[in-house]
Amino acid sequence: MPAILLTTLVAPLAFLITDWFTQTDKSALFAFLNRTTLLLIGKSLLMAGLSAFFATLAGGLCSFFLHKLSFKWNRFYKIALVMPLLISPYIFAVAWNGGLHLVLGNDASIFSSAGVVLVHSLVFLPLAFIIIGSALSQINATYEEAGLMLVSFKKMLVRIILPLVKPAILISFLLVMIFSLSDFSVPAYFGVQTFTTEIFTQFSALYNFPLAIGQSVLLLTICFAIMFSEAKYLSDSPFFTISLKGNTSKKYSINRGKGFLHLWFWFLLFISLVLPVVLLTIQSSAGNWLIIKKAWQLLEPTFGYSLGLAFTGTVIITLSALWIAYTARVYNSKLPNSLMMIIFVVPSTVSGISLIRFYNHPSLAFVYGSFLIILLAYLGRFGFIASRIIANGLKQIPESLMEAALLAGASPVKIFFSITIPLLIPSLLATFILSFILCWGELGVVIMVYPPGAELMNIKTFTISANAPLALTSTMTLLNLCITCLLIAMFLLTGRVLFKKYSYAFY
Amino acid sequence: MGKFSSFISGILVPLVFLLSSCQNKNQVVVYTSVDQVFSEPVLKDFEIKTGIRVRAVYDTEETKSTGVMNRLIAEKDNPQCDVFWSGDPVRNGVLQSKGITFPFQSVQTNLIGEAFKDPENHWIGFSARARVLIYNKNMTSSDSLPKSVLDFSNPSYRGQFTIANPLFGTTTFHLAAIFTLLGDEKAKYWMDSIKQNGVIIAASNGDVKRKVMNGEIAFGLTDTDDAFEAMKESDAVGFVFIDLEETGIGTLIMPNAVSLIKGAPHSENAKKLIDYLISQETESKLAVSCAQMPLIAGVKVPENVPSLENIRPMKIDYKSVSGKLEDIQPWLKSWLEK
Repeated sequence: MPAILLTTLVAPLAFLITDWFTQTDKSALFAFLNRTTLLLIGKSLLMAGLSAFFATLAGGLCSFFLHKLSFKWNRFYKIALVMPLLISPYIFAVAWNGGLHLVLGNDASIFSSAGVVLVHSLVFLPLAFIIIGSALSQINATYEEAGLMLVSFKKMLVRIILPLVKPAILISFLLVMIFSLSDFSVPAYFGVQTFTTEIFTQFSALYNFPLAIGQSVLLLTICFAIMFSEAKYLSDSPFFTISLKGNTSKKYSINRGKGFLHLWFWFLLFISLVLPVVLLTIQSSAGNWLIIKKAWQLLEPTFGYSLGLAFTGTVIITLSALWIAYTARVYNSKLPNSLMMIIFVVPSTVSGISLIRFYNHPSLAFVYGSFLIILLAYLGRFGFIASRIIANGLKQIPESLMEAALLAGASPVKIFFSITIPLLIPSLLATFILSFILCWGELGVVIMVYPPGAELMNIKTFTISANAPLALTSTMTLLNLCITCLLIAMFLLTGRVLFKKYSYAFY
Repeated sequence: MGKFSSFISGILVPLVFLLSSCQNKNQVVVYTSVDQVFSEPVLKDFEIKTGIRVRAVYDTEETKSTGVMNRLIAEKDNPQCDVFWSGDPVRNGVLQSKGITFPFQSVQTNLIGEAFKDPENHWIGFSARARVLIYNKNMTSSDSLPKSVLDFSNPSYRGQFTIANPLFGTTTFHLAAIFTLLGDEKAKYWMDSIKQNGVIIAASNGDVKRKVMNGEIAFGLTDTDDAFEAMKESDAVGFVFIDLEETGIGTLIMPNAVSLIKGAPHSENAKKLIDYLISQETESKLAVSCAQMPLIAGVKVPENVPSLENIRPMKIDYKSVSGKLEDIQPWLKSWLEK
């Protein structure tokens, strides 16, 4: 597996960096290392840090309310809070701009660094909610009950619950920070200069590849340093699983403050879900019913190919992630995980260019000219997150189960298929759904490498949106959203069947 | 697991080889930065008419054409693309300077006036757009609008107007043309004046259209196709040509530009497509779909499409504007960041 990853995904990147290092004039090689760049990096890190802080804080609070307190509509809020993950950050930015103008008659305030932080905090809140929520739901009730026998609820919260979910909080913070740092669309739309928009400008306005690649290497180093600290100090801490094994998580009833909780969730849902969807609907309804027909006519030819690719990509990602996580656990092989991490932190434009430069060779035309290049792009972009979800699922499986099976004479293969896989189903399902959402919406790399003539739903929505009527593009976005929700519902239903079939593994 | 992966790769690799070897050779690969909503119907018609399969990669000016431009540059040593169709000649000029385009001349290319094609035929123009002022009728009237872009520095327009990011697309092209005409010193002074006069920088021309349509701002500088789309969508939007006076700098005219790619894998089909694009038929279609002005004489156009005869075009040499553009980009970047 490491050899496959090295040759298919790491080699293109190494090839690009070597090319940059050897071909660029040595005096210009590190020309990007100046005061302006360092200040810009500082500003970008500050903005990403603030976004990560607010997203983690709000996501953490939501997780606590929804996973530890029992009140009405709890399940509805849990599902609704994750929905904004299906909306791209760019749509958020446009919606907020429109929303502010509609309400205040002025949107100037959003066109600022604060606006970028606000939108990023909202966009990445669901990620923090999922990560911290799953950690909270894993806390064994006996710890809390023992604590409550000795100290007050508040003290138990600070001394027991908080330390137990600290790794999840830190990982949420770091992942959101990386995502915020590498996002281009929102700062570009708000006209805020960040290090990522600077790289984009060098690539796309000045066509200065050596400088852009040099800056990307610097960004890559920063992101890698952040993720390396996560891998070194936190990778052994469970942070992301939906497993129910041994779950005796305690929930608390509340008598007061229910109104406040509903108000809090409806406020969050309004700004992160209702507002974008309502604005898209208003814009969409400016047309007539024929606009829905036209939008569908445009999207329909892309549906099969997009679904096939996203599904295949998701299967490959899930299987690769399972392999990486399993070998890491059984053979203590950390190299594949580190390789996936390196690829994960590469900015999408650099990733696209490295794939083109490496695979655009006559002998590799079967990769570059076909869907394989898209599948590679998917694996590179999302393989790391998937492998971490499964790795944490694996950590939840008690070693004693495998040891007992071994003593009973079961072969490693039998143990893998009869014990490990059934117990991993919740994690595999979570990986599958999250990977599908990410593959379905991926634009940054795919727009640079998709084979000529291929039609993908999100790329078509994006390229059509440039000059088509707003009503049409809004309808296309809404249709895309509805299709995604339907597909996820189907996956969840399939997951439910699997849960039932292997229910012996969970209770 | 080792056996399983060998089995999968044993099936998959030959299958992909088979699929790639079975690809239709009667095809042409085109990369375009012209909005898909306008370019796709033209390419489909070519397909129907000639039987040559068109495999297109679309991008948009909205995304600064990052996809196709970076792809073309990265593919230089092993080109996959046959034809590059751009919304303006600037990008073709960049590709020409990097040795990515190849000269092409035919009977059709001779129909285009010398002013609208590269002297060495690395790119050939057809159907043009113009830079216009789009305005919101509820916020201002056509009489109150500036008559020239140079009037943007007038204090009476303070904070009322928008232009797209000057580092990208047709806005860069327009500014490079102004720098060529006025000279660097005067042009920089004008740029600084409009900054002091509160110009709003939009993300793109499409964003200029959205801001004016939504009534967020009174007027903005954009292209004719954006203006026509805005008028289709909203009755509150109007547009005017600027710089029409005899003493003025003239209206910027931006033709589409098509280039043959050096080492194109399907060069014969590429030439057929280029000839099809530079035809009365295509110009007529683009006039209907996005009000572009034909450059070939005798093309029938709808009434709402302006004629080049009624506009006083800016007198520029596209090649020198492309050169100027590369010179001023660093200054524009620092102007934007001020």
